[in-house]
Amino acid sequence: MNREYVVELERVTKTFRTWHFLYKDEDTQKRSLYYRRTVTAANRISFGVARGEIFGLLGPNGAGKTTTVKMISGLIRPDAGRVYVDGLHVESKRLQVLKRVGVVLEGTRTSIWPLTPLENLMYYGNLKNVRGKVLRTRARELLDFIGLKDKMHIQTRKLSRGEKQKLAICIALVADPPVLLLDEPTTGLDVQSSRNIRDKILDVTSGQGKSALVTTHDMHVAQELCDRIGIINKGELVACKRTEELLNLFSDQSFEFHVDRLPVVSEFADIPGVRNVTPLLKDGDEPVLVVQVDSDRALRSEALYGMVARLKQRGYVLHSFNERQQSLENVFLHVTSGAGQGQKRNVGN
Amino acid sequence: MSFFLVVKAELVRTFIIMRRYWFRTLTGLVLSYAMLAALIIGFVARQDTIGPSLAQRFTDADKATNWALGFIIGIYAFGVVGMFSQRLQTMAQNGQLEQLCMSPHGLVTNFLAQSVVSAVSSILSSAVLIWLIAKTFGGALHADFTPTVIVLALTFADLIGFGFMVGGLVLLFKQVGQVVVIVRFVLFLLAFSAEKVTQDLPVVIRWIAHALPVTDAAICIKYVLVQGQTMEGTYVSVFTRPSFFLLIINSTVWTLVGISCFRVMEDWSRSKGTLGAY
Repeated sequence: MNREYVVELERVTKTFRTWHFLYKDEDTQKRSLYYRRTVTAANRISFGVARGEIFGLLGPNGAGKTTTVKMISGLIRPDAGRVYVDGLHVESKRLQVLKRVGVVLEGTRTSIWPLTPLENLMYYGNLKNVRGKVLRTRARELLDFIGLKDKMHIQTRKLSRGEKQKLAICIALVADPPVLLLDEPTTGLDVQSSRNIRDKILDVTSGQGKSALVTTHDMHVAQELCDRIGIINKGELVACKRTEELLNLFSDQSFEFHVDRLPVVSEFADIPGVRNVTPLLKDGDEPVLVVQVDSDRALRSEALYGMVARLKQRGYVLHSFNERQQSLENVFLHVTSGAGQGQKRNVGN
Repeated sequence: MSFFLVVKAELVRTFIIMRRYWFRTLTGLVLSYAMLAALIIGFVARQDTIGPSLAQRFTDADKATNWALGFIIGIYAFGVVGMFSQRLQTMAQNGQLEQLCMSPHGLVTNFLAQSVVSAVSSILSSAVLIWLIAKTFGGALHADFTPTVIVLALTFADLIGFGFMVGGLVLLFKQVGQVVVIVRFVLFLLAFSAEKVTQDLPVVIRWIAHALPVTDAAICIKYVLVQGQTMEGTYVSVFTRPSFFLLIINSTVWTLVGISCFRVMEDWSRSKGTLGAY
């Protein structure tokens, strides 16, 4: 167990088995008396969330993100491995762990719709062992913080989806837990609401010193919000790094040269340090030469000088050039596709 | 202390909803009264075709009250077991079950608190219903506070224990909820005709009926409230009747079995990941 982490998973494994009686395979049309299906939602996953950190768990649908969150919150018991929250083993100290985590699960109706937001917070506050004046003050402060102060006496069923999601976050925060687990907090929200929720999550972590684990398949959310990112695919943690490191790691050291006409590739292939040249029309008609260079600093420098000189020599007008920004989306696709498998060893904790 | 905090939270929630949806609360009460009254009136009006023994029940005010009480106990049993089956399924579907599981009080405490609150609101509305029926058709209930409270508390423990067992099964096998509908109707019928069932049926069925939570509870409640603890004009305390002892055994066994079963199933469902699934 690492003391620096407030949430830690040690080689956690979870497999679900389902049995289907009188099963008919839709593809082969073959019938069988029963059919057993095994899905590995987590395969020896290990990572930690430091105090005050936002950790993003990124992965496609069915990758095992929600299962991981549920294992941390004690809703699902792992088959093997250990989960610690604030130094407490989740299996043996589950009720104590629950006082330390606030959870927002994806796609659930956490709040009770006939009650108002204030009544919801009072109800869930009591369920989480908060009471009296402390609870009343905290409920009002939270609604003010999240921007629902004006709607605290309106029935929850009348709130918009984004407002309900905000209320779910308030419910998770009502007992003032040091750890916040947010499963797909912005799914299904419009741009404005999504931005609003992201800002509030940042406020909670930076302003109140809480740690958060956010699962998402929205790259923008992860890139903007998270200090560190773990990429999970088919139950395996295939990458886990600081966000910038992850972006740099998969950066292919490419530069874009914006020129006046579409260049001929063969004219640049022999420049030292240039590994690959791809001409393309950006935004429909702007000719761009994408040049992949060697990662060695000296060779990269030589390649860039060589490119500028060659463009001038061949009579191209160079409008501008810039380093090609790697997006988390590219990293994600890289890691979750076969391309990432070879680099898996280099992207662990 | 934590249990009472959850009871308070549940009480506030229930009464806010009852007050906010006052029309639904009121129409529920009126409908129950109307249904019961219509049944009684129907039987009375058709005395000539339903046979003298059944018709006799409704010409006698005490018998009508007895019958109405059976109906109410049946409704209560139906509701308690329903809370642990259909309601639990709904909570699993909409995610509230997972929220309750994440309460540091634990799922058993939360459900126990919900049951207490449900019992309180049910007893209050039943009291109003019984009073209305007694006023309309005559007859009166005997108000003997101590035995009534003791018998009601044992009935509550009996039904809650059974409910916990059903709830435990529903946590793991959600489809069990459909089978439970049949059990709920059996309990409902037993509450009506508990005394008759325990006298007339074959031994095996009789013992099964006694093993179910509502039979002896209904016999004892009716004995206290309708007969005023008198047998052929002589006062015989309910505490000396065999049904009372069976009720004590039943409530102890069902509570222990129910809560143990629920805990085991909750643990198992966490392993299988079925808490939030339907």
